[in-house]
Amino acid sequence: MTERPAPARPKRLTVVLADWCPHCVPLSEKNGRRLARVLRIPYRRLDIDSAAQERAADRLVRDHGDPAPDYLIPQVFLEWSDGHVQHLLTGFSEAVARTERAWADLWASDWLRGVRREVRR
Amino acid sequence: MTASTRRFPPLLRRALRPSEARCYRHCRRPLRPRALRSALPGIWQVYACPGGAVSVVTYFELSNRDPTPQVRAYLRRFTVAASLVRGWDLRSARRHGPELGRPAERFLARSRPGAEIRGTYWRVYPFKDPRGIERRLFACTRHATPEIVFFSAPATSERPRCPRCPPSRRAALR
Repeated sequence: MTERPAPARPKRLTVVLADWCPHCVPLSEKNGRRLARVLRIPYRRLDIDSAAQERAADRLVRDHGDPAPDYLIPQVFLEWSDGHVQHLLTGFSEAVARTERAWADLWASDWLRGVRREVRR
Repeated sequence: MTASTRRFPPLLRRALRPSEARCYRHCRRPLRPRALRSALPGIWQVYACPGGAVSVVTYFELSNRDPTPQVRAYLRRFTVAASLVRGWDLRSARRHGPELGRPAERFLARSRPGAEIRGTYWRVYPFKDPRGIERRLFACTRHATPEIVFFSAPATSERPRCPRCPPSRRAALR
């Protein structure tokens, strides 16, 4: 009998951001840290203004996010144990309040409820 | 109702709409979102103040492709000069069900599993012309055809004159 592979679990949460961006700091940083805590995974911030972090941020956005020559921030990613990287959210350029609402909706979503249920098992 | 709004459900249109947005680096007055018609299958919104200063233009459609090339071509047709539409100012964004509220999340999961909302933002930051005068993007909608004209004018302008309007008319977003 072959064993079924264990279902994938959240592994790390990453927020691509900049300190001068009001959609990013403190709004998305605070929510990102909280989400990582709830999912019991490490939190990673990638600051596009830090030379050391910019390359990793650009790669993550190019491969899994919303790329553009001057891409939108913040962009939030959830890495899973099976290697899959899920793009969760990109800031809403219309208004900071709209990005705030997106975070509130994410917290209340069916999707997050399902993930939390899996994490608690 | 236009062809593009028929293809983009009202529930999703409501989910994408910001509750409040103010004029960006111009007058801080509340923005008046205005829909645009086009042959593209998604929805356009021009966020501009009553004086016509454009904060951002958005386009969203239900698809798995990045609409930025089509958005760029459309904007270039209605912008004086077309060179104002630069790739650098066009930014793509996907919107997923969980970030759009539970009704939209359930609608997307039920009717289009795996579907995404793909969008493009056009934001032109104020810039300096060769004489050192700061300029920004404005929109005029006082045209029958085409229905909108984007143009640049000094950033401090209250209601600058549209380059395609007769001399007596002024830019206004109604």
